[in-house]
Amino acid sequence: MSYLRFPLTAFAMVALLAGVPAADSHAQARTKIKYALGDVISIDELPLLVAAERAKKRGVDVEITSFKSEEVATQAVINGQADVGQGTPYAAVQKVNVPIRFFYQMSALQFFPIVNKDSYKSWKDLNGQEIVVHARGSGTEAIMRLMAKEHGIEYKNVSFVPGSDVRALGLIKGTIKASILDATNKNYVMKEAPGKFIVLPLGKVKASDEALFATRAFLDKNQAAVAVLVEELLRVTREINANPKSILEERKKLGLLKELPAKLEAEILPYFEEGVKNGIFPADGGAANAAQNDLDFFKLSGSIKGDNLKTDDFWYMAPLKAALGKVK
Amino acid sequence: MPRPGITSSPLFWQLASFALFFGAWEIAGRWPVSAAFPPFSATLLALLEMIGDGSLGKAYVSTLQPLLIGIAICGVAGIGFGIGMGLSRTVEWFTLPVFIILQAAPMAAIIPLITYLYGIGLTSKVLAVIFLAAPVVVMNSYKGIRNANPSLIQMCRSFQGSRRQEILKIILPHAAALIFTGLRLGLAMGFIGVVIAELLITPTGIGDLITYHSSVADYPQMFAAISSIILIAAVSLHALERVERRLFPAEIRGS
Repeated sequence: MSYLRFPLTAFAMVALLAGVPAADSHAQARTKIKYALGDVISIDELPLLVAAERAKKRGVDVEITSFKSEEVATQAVINGQADVGQGTPYAAVQKVNVPIRFFYQMSALQFFPIVNKDSYKSWKDLNGQEIVVHARGSGTEAIMRLMAKEHGIEYKNVSFVPGSDVRALGLIKGTIKASILDATNKNYVMKEAPGKFIVLPLGKVKASDEALFATRAFLDKNQAAVAVLVEELLRVTREINANPKSILEERKKLGLLKELPAKLEAEILPYFEEGVKNGIFPADGGAANAAQNDLDFFKLSGSIKGDNLKTDDFWYMAPLKAALGKVK
Repeated sequence: MPRPGITSSPLFWQLASFALFFGAWEIAGRWPVSAAFPPFSATLLALLEMIGDGSLGKAYVSTLQPLLIGIAICGVAGIGFGIGMGLSRTVEWFTLPVFIILQAAPMAAIIPLITYLYGIGLTSKVLAVIFLAAPVVVMNSYKGIRNANPSLIQMCRSFQGSRRQEILKIILPHAAALIFTGLRLGLAMGFIGVVIAELLITPTGIGDLITYHSSVADYPQMFAAISSIILIAAVSLHALERVERRLFPAEIRGS
């Protein structure tokens, strides 16, 4: 009977939509950490790659998988297909009823509001003008809105163009007059069109750009492996802070990112030197400051909601404290 | 004699299958299969909320724009090309390969290329709709013309009918059903094109609702936005199919 076919299809569709829960989520050897990265592996991931290589020598395999976006990486952690994720999915941590906690801050936000010199010269000039940011509810939007508040101005319109590289092209082509870019693309724009753009000064914006998160269950069950990863990340970060050139030597020694095009290779040192100068690589994994700064910032961006937000509902400090005790 | 039971009514079975589908969804959401998979009730509430606060309506105004422009262009140029290809071997020789390649090409891979050429504005989105919809519209019109009944054409010729009469009185009326089917299927592809464009080029309209709600982990709203576009596409295509059945008798439709 043909009517009966539909219910069967309906069941099949729900099963497909729901996806089969990952059966092997926690069945692997405990010395392996499945790491979900919501980005392509590039120069800014070098500290992680170095730490992963060193952790391997200590018996912890950090298996890094690159996903299309931070949301997909977050889903992988929520659904148990990945153990540790990288990013700042504060909204998901607040809304999803799987206890996920941040435990390490890799880097703080480093963005550069950049404007076409012919059109604008200061924040005040942006009053009543159109600006372009990454996406609705993103860190870039929050920074631009925070700055508008600080300077008492109001934008006419905020448009969304995902990808710093795409916005950089827009600026160069002249289709975008005011935007906000990451360090690599800011340097690219300044080099491609010298004298055409200016970077507007940014007040004190302190929030995580990349932080590590995992389920509380994973962190509790795998303390030893997590400790190794966090300790190695701390060591690499401190080495870079002491001498940004060290990352070049490590890359060469460990043979990391061998296929990097020469153009990008030349950007490694400026990226880390600038980052160190701006203090975006915390020598203490963020400690308590990162958590509080993040809550303030992501509340402003609209990612998280509510009053009396507690850092304990977002961060789990024990792994970091333990590692800080060991890495002097 | 027993009364015909309620179970013999097609409506009963249609409603039952909907109830079963949404029931299974509700159970899957409450179980839950994933912390990010909302039950049907939460999704429905989110949908009503989004209709209420006007965000859904606003999103559709922006999504339907590239869709309608794209389909209108396909309707005029696409059908024109299809008819041209059906009637003239030269036009066919020049254009058929283009549409066959377009039909086979994985569009999600080509859309980023469009942005390199046409930027991130409305033009790129309209082009995404056209790239997906045009091959179906063109190929159906072309086949409609080519499949015109040869005996009728022979008849026209034996009655000394001119080429013009042959086209206007025999070929085009005969091809109309397939051309219409092409438009309907083109609209279906257009829906796919506009959503892919809004997800891959710049998040506007329904694509913005999906990306935004996913990024702030409002999963019921995200599922509501996705369900709404599926619903609108399904309802409009079904309506067009009914129009098609009314307009063209089964023997012309070839079914």
